[in-house]
Amino acid sequence: MRHIHSYLIDFTSLIAISVVLYFILFTQLAGEKLSFHISDSFLQLNTIFLSILIEAIPFVLIGVLIAGFIQIFVTEDHIRRLIPKNRFLAVVMSCVVGALFPACECGIVPIVRRLVEKGVPLHAGVGFLLTGPLINPIVIFSTYMAFGNDSKMAALRMGIGFVAAVVIALSISILFRSKQLKHTISDFTSSDPTMKRNESFTVKIEGMMKHSIDEFFDMGKYLIIGAFIAAAVQTHISANSLFVFGDGVVGSSVVMMGLAYILSLCSEADAFIGASFSNLVPSASILAFLVFGPMIDLKNTIMLLSMFKARFVLILLVLITVFVFICTTLLSFF
Amino acid sequence: MVGARFQHFLKAILLMAFDLFFIKLHTTGDISKYINPKYENMSFVAIWIFTLLFLIQLFRIWENNRNEHAYCPPGCNHDHGDSASVPRKLVNYSIILFPLVTGFALSPSVLDASIAANKGTVLPQSNSNSYEEELMEYEFGYDEEVIDNDNFLSDKEYDDKMKKLEQSELIEMKEDIFASYYEAISDSPVNFQGKKIKVQGFVYKEKGMRGNQLVLSRFLITHCIADASIIGLMAELEKANEYPEDTWLEMEGTLDVMIYNGVEIPVIKAVNWKVIEEPTSPYIYPVLTKIL
Repeated sequence: MRHIHSYLIDFTSLIAISVVLYFILFTQLAGEKLSFHISDSFLQLNTIFLSILIEAIPFVLIGVLIAGFIQIFVTEDHIRRLIPKNRFLAVVMSCVVGALFPACECGIVPIVRRLVEKGVPLHAGVGFLLTGPLINPIVIFSTYMAFGNDSKMAALRMGIGFVAAVVIALSISILFRSKQLKHTISDFTSSDPTMKRNESFTVKIEGMMKHSIDEFFDMGKYLIIGAFIAAAVQTHISANSLFVFGDGVVGSSVVMMGLAYILSLCSEADAFIGASFSNLVPSASILAFLVFGPMIDLKNTIMLLSMFKARFVLILLVLITVFVFICTTLLSFF
Repeated sequence: MVGARFQHFLKAILLMAFDLFFIKLHTTGDISKYINPKYENMSFVAIWIFTLLFLIQLFRIWENNRNEHAYCPPGCNHDHGDSASVPRKLVNYSIILFPLVTGFALSPSVLDASIAANKGTVLPQSNSNSYEEELMEYEFGYDEEVIDNDNFLSDKEYDDKMKKLEQSELIEMKEDIFASYYEAISDSPVNFQGKKIKVQGFVYKEKGMRGNQLVLSRFLITHCIADASIIGLMAELEKANEYPEDTWLEMEGTLDVMIYNGVEIPVIKAVNWKVIEEPTSPYIYPVLTKIL
């Protein structure tokens, strides 16, 4: 039996490899034949689209591996013991953990889903989701660099970001009691919970990998849709045409936040883009751009929509927009 | 049952295709047309993870399906390929397939002036309320990590190059130091008045420029092409209007200062210039030096 099984695997891998090679050859040939018929602007769009994917995929892969790890190794008991019962404490703790955790906004979505599924309260999950990509050593450093080695903007970004995240997560805790996930545990028949403890380590690792693979395909399609829309907007809409609201603080903050949302930049790189607007908009609006973008953006929203209820995602989006706007605008009066 | 097996097979193939796509980017060097080579290491990580996941997925194809949930703790809801309807699955897999098709079929194109126009402006605008310098105000020269990189300079090399900028008569805007030189020159154009400069770039034009003016520009890539921003120097030459946008020029000339929309900016008084082929590395990456 074992022999037959291993032959089967060998045979399948040969087929898989030949299918892939055939696919690559075929598409490359087709590409050579057809590329004359494809417009320049689509080629540019495609390049930007692929570059967002190439940049994001390594982080998504790491994210799904961590999500897989949580799924297999972290039990509800651990979480119940670690997370404070007090709502405020839970929110603050999750924000601090998020701040220490160097994540990217696309990598963190699958992690948060697993955590919430495992019994982490929704408000704590949100806190983690908001500060994870916004506050971490790499982002702090790149912001510091982008603004001419001036620590003021980096400090404001972290400070305001943290305050806004706590406020938003607390509001979520008041508004929502349930998990807000699309599928709940009861939708699926679960296996005997006592079984898992006896599994060997390798079986667990294997399980973690399988979870990660499925998660990658779950997440991947939303990442791809989001990246494509962001690339299309960049190719076809001029940044200047967005400044229709004039150049007051309110108008330009709205524009900068819209830009942060649409561009869906990685939080490590967005500081440089933000800095390039220094001459056009007041610094409060740049701060709004820097705080809003990592918390939520287009590709991130689509990923969230795939796993949380639409109503929850919408309210979260509104809350983030309102609070980030208020926090950064208030600052401009000091 | 067969459907589930086929899906596992499909996933294995897609994982492998992604893996080969990343490998292809590295072997052909195309990766530098998508992302800053500084982040290449991350995509190596992706190659290893994809390879691992592909192998795991391969063994899943012939596994008995009822084992699937055996190692799952309760509450497992990952998609075992039996929840969605057939048309929906078809759409899902097509979406995943799409970047692979365009990625293998189409070669990366180099950003052109039409994108530049969407990125905002290079030259100061009349409503600009800052008098400091041009729109692109970057401070580069440091980076958090010491990474093997095309554009890696040690502290000493960097200092040498910056010293050269101050002392030598001819400023050569080489790719590796372009961003830093550009920043220094646009920060204080007066300091460089009268110096000779040699620069390559593509022609970019903005509204309000005269017939003898063009901007010789390059794209600066911080992370990936999506965050590209445009940097460029104003140049004055006869018949500037004869060169359409996106023409690559190599230009030698003398640096001067002019007032544009009330802001002092550097300008190249061109002495000689020629049309060149698009360089093999059209993008500029910020300079990295180590501080550790």
